[in-house]
Amino acid sequence: MREPWFKIRTPLSGRRRALLMAASFVLPVLLWCVVTYTPAFQTEMRLTLVTEKIGDGAVFSVGDRVAKSYFGTLQDNVRAVNAGVLEARAAGGAKGSGRANKKKLRQLRGLAESGGYLAGVDPADFKAVDAVLFDLYGRLAGGDIAPGAFGLSDENAALVRANWEILQAAAPYGEKDFVKEPLQYLIPQGVSASPVFLPPPGECLAAAWTDFTTEPANGQPWMHQRLLSSLKVVFGAFLLACLVGVPIGLLCGTSDFFAKLIEPFVDFFRYMPAPTFGLLLQAMFGVAGAPKLALVFIGTFPHLVLMLGNTTRGLDRSLLEAAQTLGAKPARLFRSVIVPGVLPRMYGDLRVLLGWAWTWLVIAELIGEKTGLTAFIDTQGGKYNFDRVFPVIILIGVIGFATDQLLQSLGRTLFPWDVSSGAPPRRGGLGRVVAAPACALGGAVAWAVERAGRPGPRERAAAANPGDHDA
Amino acid sequence: MPDHHPATESDRAAGEKPPALPMPPEVRARFDRIYQRPVVFDVQNLSRTFISPQGQSIQALGGVDFKVHRRELITVIGPSGCGKSTLIRIIAGLESASGGQMLLDGQPVTGPGADRGMVFQGYTLFPWLSVKKNVMFGLESTGRGGAAAEREALQWIDMVGLDGFADHYPHQLSGGMKQRVAIARALANKPRILLMDEPFGALDAQTRAEMQDYLLQIWRNVDVTILFITHDLDEAIYLADRVLVLGRNPGHVKEIVEVPVPRPRTPEQMFDPRFTRVKQRVEHLIHPPGEAPKKPLPVIRMTAVGDEVF
Repeated sequence: MREPWFKIRTPLSGRRRALLMAASFVLPVLLWCVVTYTPAFQTEMRLTLVTEKIGDGAVFSVGDRVAKSYFGTLQDNVRAVNAGVLEARAAGGAKGSGRANKKKLRQLRGLAESGGYLAGVDPADFKAVDAVLFDLYGRLAGGDIAPGAFGLSDENAALVRANWEILQAAAPYGEKDFVKEPLQYLIPQGVSASPVFLPPPGECLAAAWTDFTTEPANGQPWMHQRLLSSLKVVFGAFLLACLVGVPIGLLCGTSDFFAKLIEPFVDFFRYMPAPTFGLLLQAMFGVAGAPKLALVFIGTFPHLVLMLGNTTRGLDRSLLEAAQTLGAKPARLFRSVIVPGVLPRMYGDLRVLLGWAWTWLVIAELIGEKTGLTAFIDTQGGKYNFDRVFPVIILIGVIGFATDQLLQSLGRTLFPWDVSSGAPPRRGGLGRVVAAPACALGGAVAWAVERAGRPGPRERAAAANPGDHDA
Repeated sequence: MPDHHPATESDRAAGEKPPALPMPPEVRARFDRIYQRPVVFDVQNLSRTFISPQGQSIQALGGVDFKVHRRELITVIGPSGCGKSTLIRIIAGLESASGGQMLLDGQPVTGPGADRGMVFQGYTLFPWLSVKKNVMFGLESTGRGGAAAEREALQWIDMVGLDGFADHYPHQLSGGMKQRVAIARALANKPRILLMDEPFGALDAQTRAEMQDYLLQIWRNVDVTILFITHDLDEAIYLADRVLVLGRNPGHVKEIVEVPVPRPRTPEQMFDPRFTRVKQRVEHLIHPPGEAPKKPLPVIRMTAVGDEVF
């Protein structure tokens, strides 16, 4: 008889568990692909060929996005201008200039660049660029280069041929005395694209590859250097919090004296959001690494103390009583019963807190001098380059997840006797495992979306006031 | 020492004289020998008062008196709420008394100590220590460690029949095995008195019977005095030299019953008329015949007429 898939509180077979775990990752990626690659969900056109500013219209550059509903209007506006040019020419009153015609020539530049025709040409050298474009124009009109393969629409191919009739008089290209009779504009072209905040996985992969393998401009750090810097902040602050918090938490859980003396204030302190201390920490520790460590510390330390206090109090009382009847004095009770007794659950607590540390990292790296992965997310997010932002966010998630899985399996080896949490089959474990990095990921995504909502130099205010994020 | 012989001080104080249970001469002689031995543990007028959350003071124990002689096995039984557990926890030093005192070998004791070992109902083995390390825990706590302690621990493990399990973790053992480790762990400390708080209460009937026999064997071979708390009448009588019956409101010693069943004990003796007579006597002490009868359940008939099971 086949085992049912859905059965209340019954563990599935190992094969099914593995299958479902794979599906839990594959399904979101599939959804991502569907939403970004299906034309029905692609609501925007990314422009590949643009005109200069026409009339009162907006200026667009290659790569800009317009809503699909507006794209037709944009094209029609240009067609109307062209009709006016033809009319004026027919009436013999057409007035133009060489300068205006060169601008129309440059409409090809975007496609020429992506086609690799401008390779080796200094982009700042307009004369050289114009010469290449002029040459291209001729080859496109003459059919040396198939206009379709170049990326031109049939309509624009016809326009290129019509314009070349006039332009060829200026061949070979020279700076002086360029053709003055007004040319027609090429009609704006674009490709269907998913919304700017949801780049397709392919683009993200390509962007990630470029970002990780090419040397950044302006002496910016390499991606792996950014990653290392972020890891240093997370693990440095986390270890610091452990170093201070573990003994305090154990003391609180062991003795009511310390619990009542320490826990009320720590409990109060944790409600003050760590990011609100950002500027204060900057004033205290400067703008380099120290305030970042301090912020992650402030974000994790109080939770660590309180969690550990509770965990320690949760230790079976009868174990302590048994030890007492065996002659154990307080020091030995602490050393040989409390500490080893809470170790596995403490280990679990620390794993959860490591996830918290990642959450605070995003805020911490914006304090003072922006550093690490967050600085990259911040810069690229500000430019709407979300295809470059997504891989970094996902990278943080992957690192968090991998660390947690690693620590979990390490825990099983470290505490073989702990059947309550370590032994397979483990139920509810994955939920906890995913929760920690998901916190980090969720925080980063929420922040990136919020950042996209209002670009501008407001990181300081944002870092200092997380309420903005929550709103 | 006249106060040793009659086991019914409190009842005599109340003016009742229970009929003495007939006792074979060899058992009588055994009791005489027991009473000749020195008193190991002397509980004098021990009382305990709680303050309830509502602020009322509740007396759990009101003046408990008894003496335990060296190498005696005394069981404590009583109705629920009579303060059995409170009594043994006070003796172990895990709770403090409100009045009275306890003398161990004539010296007053307070607080927990290695001289009063304890076996709990819940398996209180340290889950992170192997069986061997668990047994060594007490030795290390009292300043004896190293190879000698390890050898000693292994001997105790052999003694409770768990050789080969020294390196197992507690979670790999059955309930009965865990409780044997707990006994070995307590005995390894060589306590003057071994306190057992319903140690077999969580075991199934078969394992429990096995454990009772193990305990008797161990007790026979080890110089230890045992105070054993149980709510199981058969267990109380089967194990005991004397059964201390506690009454409630507040907890007090109703009677200390001498068990007239010869040793060594075997399970067949439970059908011995001497055994059943003690059982009846203790049963009457716990639930006096005059007590309010049990009210029947207000069950409505929900079966067809004629479909009777009895």
